[in-house]
Amino acid sequence: MSSRSGSAREYETSDRSPGLSAFPPVPESSESEAEGLIFYHMDLYGSKERFDIFPKELTGQEDRSLGDTRKESALSSEKFQRAQEAGYDLEKEVAELAKMYGLDEDREKELELLGGHLEMVESRWPPARTEKVGSQGSIYNASKSSSPMKDQSQSTKQQGLPGEASQDEEENKARAEDKAESHIGSGEGLSSSGMSDEWNSQAVSEEEAADIFCSTCKMPIRAFDKLFGEHKDHEVAQLPSALESEKEEIHKNMCKLEEQIAQMENFASHLEEIFITVEENFGRQEQNFEVHYNDAVQVLAQKYEEQLEALGEEKRQKLEALYGQLVSCGEHLDTCKELTDATQELYLENDKASFMKAAVTMVDRLEEFLKKEVDLELSTLPDFEERVIDFSEVEQLMNSINTIPAPCAPVINPQAPNTATGTSLRVCWGLFSDDTVECYQLCYKPVSNERSSDEQAAPSPPTIKNKKIRSCENAALVCWESRDINPVDSYTVELSKLTDEENGDTITESIVGIPNCEVLIHLQPTQSYRICIRALNLGGSSERSEPVLIHTTGTYFCLNEDTAHPLLAILDDGFTIACDELENPECDLPVYDNSFTRCIGILGSLIPFPGKHYWEVEVEEDTEYRIGVAFENTPRHGYLGANNSSWCMRHIITPSRHKYEFLHSGMTPDIRITIPPRRIGILLDYENCRLSFFNADIAQHLYAFNSHFQHYVHPCFALETPGILRIHTGIAIPPWTALP
Amino acid sequence: MKFGIYLPPKAETAKCPVLYWLSGLTCTEQNFITKAGFHQAAAEHGLIVVAPDTSPRGCNIEGEDESWDFGTGAGFYVDATEDPWKTNYRMYSYIKDELPKLINANFPTDPERMSIFGHSMGGHGALILALKNPGKYKSVSAFAPICNPIQCEWGKKALGGYLGSDAYDATQLVKSYPNSHLDILIDQGKDDQFLSAGQLLPDNFIAACTEQKIPVVFRLQQASCFCSP
Repeated sequence: MSSRSGSAREYETSDRSPGLSAFPPVPESSESEAEGLIFYHMDLYGSKERFDIFPKELTGQEDRSLGDTRKESALSSEKFQRAQEAGYDLEKEVAELAKMYGLDEDREKELELLGGHLEMVESRWPPARTEKVGSQGSIYNASKSSSPMKDQSQSTKQQGLPGEASQDEEENKARAEDKAESHIGSGEGLSSSGMSDEWNSQAVSEEEAADIFCSTCKMPIRAFDKLFGEHKDHEVAQLPSALESEKEEIHKNMCKLEEQIAQMENFASHLEEIFITVEENFGRQEQNFEVHYNDAVQVLAQKYEEQLEALGEEKRQKLEALYGQLVSCGEHLDTCKELTDATQELYLENDKASFMKAAVTMVDRLEEFLKKEVDLELSTLPDFEERVIDFSEVEQLMNSINTIPAPCAPVINPQAPNTATGTSLRVCWGLFSDDTVECYQLCYKPVSNERSSDEQAAPSPPTIKNKKIRSCENAALVCWESRDINPVDSYTVELSKLTDEENGDTITESIVGIPNCEVLIHLQPTQSYRICIRALNLGGSSERSEPVLIHTTGTYFCLNEDTAHPLLAILDDGFTIACDELENPECDLPVYDNSFTRCIGILGSLIPFPGKHYWEVEVEEDTEYRIGVAFENTPRHGYLGANNSSWCMRHIITPSRHKYEFLHSGMTPDIRITIPPRRIGILLDYENCRLSFFNADIAQHLYAFNSHFQHYVHPCFALETPGILRIHTGIAIPPWTALP
Repeated sequence: MKFGIYLPPKAETAKCPVLYWLSGLTCTEQNFITKAGFHQAAAEHGLIVVAPDTSPRGCNIEGEDESWDFGTGAGFYVDATEDPWKTNYRMYSYIKDELPKLINANFPTDPERMSIFGHSMGGHGALILALKNPGKYKSVSAFAPICNPIQCEWGKKALGGYLGSDAYDATQLVKSYPNSHLDILIDQGKDDQFLSAGQLLPDNFIAACTEQKIPVVFRLQQASCFCSP
């Protein structure tokens, strides 16, 4: 049964439907039936392969069964059972055997081999099958209990059925069939028709086999029986045609079954999706609940704090009042004591005249004093107010736990090119994933292009900041300004690629809906583009700005004037920097927030494009310089290369020779270069994390930093002696810079 | 003569450039192949690497095995002119002509693209071969090379023994090198004992190159161990 178990495993690992995998609880005797059913599964899922599978299975089984049949001369009921378990396989084997041995020649032998069960099989199988087939439709919906009864009745109908074993087998088989899902049953039915094909062909060639179908009894019979047996008065039909009609019916049912399978599969995958949705919803609810709970707890805590504080305050007040009273009590007592002492002293006075004098005063004093009211009332009660924490706010919060917050306003994407025709428009918008949205409402109104007196005037054209353009082979960063009293809603960029043909004014691309005065445009390498900007508001669109030309050859950047050290001058072409005197680098010249204060340097504009960038710096032989790259946040009080936010090549002249350093974090390798470079090529490779320096005149590689640049960098330049540096941009990357 | 050769995967389908590696004193054709670990880099860049031996062996010349820095394993990449060495010790011609011919005939090489590099004595070999054959090699690199053999002990012993002249001194050669494009890269360990012992003398070479305007990038590395690669 090895191949059987193979297919069993196959079946178990498939995740077709959860129901099937729960199949194992099946009566022990039908372990084989499980296998048989598995077979049917395979049969069903590939409708085209249905008939193909049968022969394969058969060949797999054949050798074994042949062996079985050969070895044993007589089929025991057990063996028959096993053969039965092979199910219709036996039928196939029979057919094969018949073919092998030659039907006409060795019919006797064959029968002998199979222990005479062939006939039994032949006569028994079809009724069982066809009966089943007939009731296919009902099996779909029938409960499990119904079928066995049919089976019972079936078995009684069967003729010439010897042995309990076969009957049990039949019932077991039927039961197993019923237990399976309906499509299994129909698979069986299908296989039976397949079987019956072979069986039929075999039968036809058999002289003693049934060749007529009795419609009344729904079983095949021999012509002989019709004439002389109980079927005399029954309706009969030729076996082939009966076969055909049965097949048709089976086929119809099969189709229905396939439909069902599709439905169930869809449903299963839908269920899988729903699983996920349930999880998501759960997550959302959980989060929501947590938030609300936290809010409530927070409010509660707050209230508690408030009340506690008020309580404390009350206590303080009470104590203060009481203390005040105590103090005045004490004072009073003091005065009393004083008077008492004074009076007592008075009595010690022997001189009657003085006594009288003092006594009179005393008496007055005492009287005066006693006139004062003595307040013996408690200024404050020891009991505290009743305080209650107000839960109403918390209640409100808890109650609002199930309210779905209104979604945030969706953001409409700016109009993309080619989304509008004369009569239609495509609008796209984005949604916040936290929101639950049931539906959207789109509102629109046509906006008139004409200027009407009570509407806004269209804006005036903006001005592109020519000097601030940055570009590389694949992109350009353009910015502009719009000095306009009229409000501007958005900008439109129009760009046209310049070809060798006439300088046509055809716009090849326009980018609309730009909210700020800056745009990053993706371009093709080694092309020239003309770019201009329009400003838009409700009043319409402005005229085009003055155009700029952008060449996508090499990388192009400019210098950030506001980073320049006061002693560093930028010459007219914007790419030459010079330093005249070094008297006092930390001088009193005006310093901008962003400029270098010690290092006489300047930053180029940021190179915000990924990939490789190349530029050259021309130096004089006696210029001492630092050139390289730096992050935006490189300290302006520091020196280029002395910190971990800058990398540079440094040239200084010592009495004996030219000295070169490649500085980062203040460290440099020990390097000697025999030919002082006059034109230094710098290759910035963001992708491969490398900054390389070359002697561009002789294509000599000098040094490379390997550093993962976490941010985009600026080119940087600094002078250490009076001199000039000329910067060259827009150069295509030379081939000799490629990794050797 | 034995040599080691590495063929990258690219060699299965295309012709590849060749890199000749010259080993230093006492090495054989095995050292570089076995210990250097260059294979991945060579594979990535599609380079064939050839590592010849450092001298002829088993020539039965008297005294060939007497010292480790002269004779066997110390060919110095020169063509000896003195007896008893001149018959067998012709490493210069071997590296310059015989070996490339053999390699080009039997392996998928691009004969136009050849470069040379080496360590110590091999560095010296690489430098002199490049300097004596302008345009033959696309690049030359040397690790801790003996730059000025006629001024150091090793060189005096070897060159004195094999030759009568200083025709194989890199520093001398540079002084008369025609102005042809050559890219030289030298790496030297800072704490190299032989550097401090005055055997390598890179400064002389650099000074000569500076004067002659030969482009060299010389890197003094933190390495101290002068192990054979």
